[in-house]
Amino acid sequence: MCRYVSILAGAICALLFSTATSAHHGATSLYDVKKETTLKVTITEFTWTNPHVEVGIASVEDKSARWLLELGSPPNISNRGWTAKSLKPGDVVTVTFNPGLRGMRVGRLLKVVLPDGKELLA
Amino acid sequence: MSARWLVALMVGVVAAAAVGCAGDGSATPAPPRSPEVSGTWRNPGGQALRPASGDVPFTPWGAEQAKKERPTFSSDFRETTDPAVLYADPNGYPRIIMHPMKFKLVQTNDYVYQLFEYNQNWRQIALNKTHAPDDVPTWYGNAVGKWDGDTLVVDSTGYKPSTWLDSRGLPHTDNLHIIERIRREGEMLLVELTFEDPGAFTKPWSAQLKFERVDDGAMIETIYTISDELRFRERFLGVPAPIPIRR
Repeated sequence: MCRYVSILAGAICALLFSTATSAHHGATSLYDVKKETTLKVTITEFTWTNPHVEVGIASVEDKSARWLLELGSPPNISNRGWTAKSLKPGDVVTVTFNPGLRGMRVGRLLKVVLPDGKELLA
Repeated sequence: MSARWLVALMVGVVAAAAVGCAGDGSATPAPPRSPEVSGTWRNPGGQALRPASGDVPFTPWGAEQAKKERPTFSSDFRETTDPAVLYADPNGYPRIIMHPMKFKLVQTNDYVYQLFEYNQNWRQIALNKTHAPDDVPTWYGNAVGKWDGDTLVVDSTGYKPSTWLDSRGLPHTDNLHIIERIRREGEMLLVELTFEDPGAFTKPWSAQLKFERVDDGAMIETIYTISDELRFRERFLGVPAPIPIRR
C-alpha cells in the first residue's frame, strides 16, 4: 500500500513540477487550460522573441477574428523542432490553443498543423 | 665574423637548446586529468528542490516568507512576487539549474564554469581556493570547489537574499551556505545540495537533483529584458508600459 501511495505522490509531484517549469508566466492564471480551440487560420505575425515567441493569427472563415498566441521560449521550442522560420505571415495552418481567460484575444498555442500534415507541438 | 653574424649564431644556439629541452622529458608532467563532469545538461523535469523525506525545516521566518511568496504558476500572474518575473532579476542559485533551459559545465585547471543558457548567465567555481574575505552578496554567490575522488565538492556563500532557491518561492537569507556534491553517473549528472541557513532553516537539509546529458551542446542566445517583459504585459495582459519600450 505504502508503495502505491509513494508512486501516486511521485506522479502528482511530476505533474505539478512539469507544469511549473513549462510556464514562465503562469498559464493557469492567463488561459483557460481546460478549453482547447482549433481553427484554420492565416498567420499574421511570427515574432521570435523573449520571454515567449508570439504568433498572430486570423481565422480563415472570419478574418476579423484575430488572436495573439504565445509559444515557449526560443531555446525550449527549438528542442521540439521549431525554428525562427517555422511560420511566416500569410501561411495558412491549423492551430490549437487555450483561449485567454480575461476577454482579451490572446491564447497559449498548443499545436500547429502545417499544410503538408506535419505537426509542430508547443 | 661581424657582430651581426655573431648575434644571429647565438640566437640560433639558444633556440635549438630550447626546442631540445622541451622534448627531452625533463619538463613538468601534466597534472592528472580531473574527473569528467563537463558537458551540456538539462533538467528532465518532474523533480523538486525538497528533502528526500519530510518537509523543509523552516524557521518561523522561513515559513512565513514561503507562505507570502506568490509563484506565477500557482497564483494570479499579475500579482506574482517572483523577482525573476517582476524585475527580470537573475534566477539565482540553484534555481537557475532547474530551469528547463540547458546549462554547460566547462572544466579548466583553476575553475569550473557553469554557463546557463537562460539569460546567458554564468557562475564560476574556483578550485582549491578559499572564499574571498570581502564576500559580498551576489546573484550566483561566491563558490569554491575541490575534487573528492570523482565528485566535485562546491562550497558557496554570499547569495543575495532577494533570490528564490526555486521557482516555488523557497526563501533564504544572506547567511545561506550551500554544499554541493556534483558527479557524473553514466549519462546523468547528479547534484546533491545541502542547505544551511539559520535564519531560514532550523537545521541543514539536503535535496538531490538529476540532469540529463544533451548531445547537441549548442546553446541559443536568450536574453530576457525589461523591455521584453513590458511588451509581453502590454500585448497579452493589456497593461500599458510605464516607459517607452524597445520593439
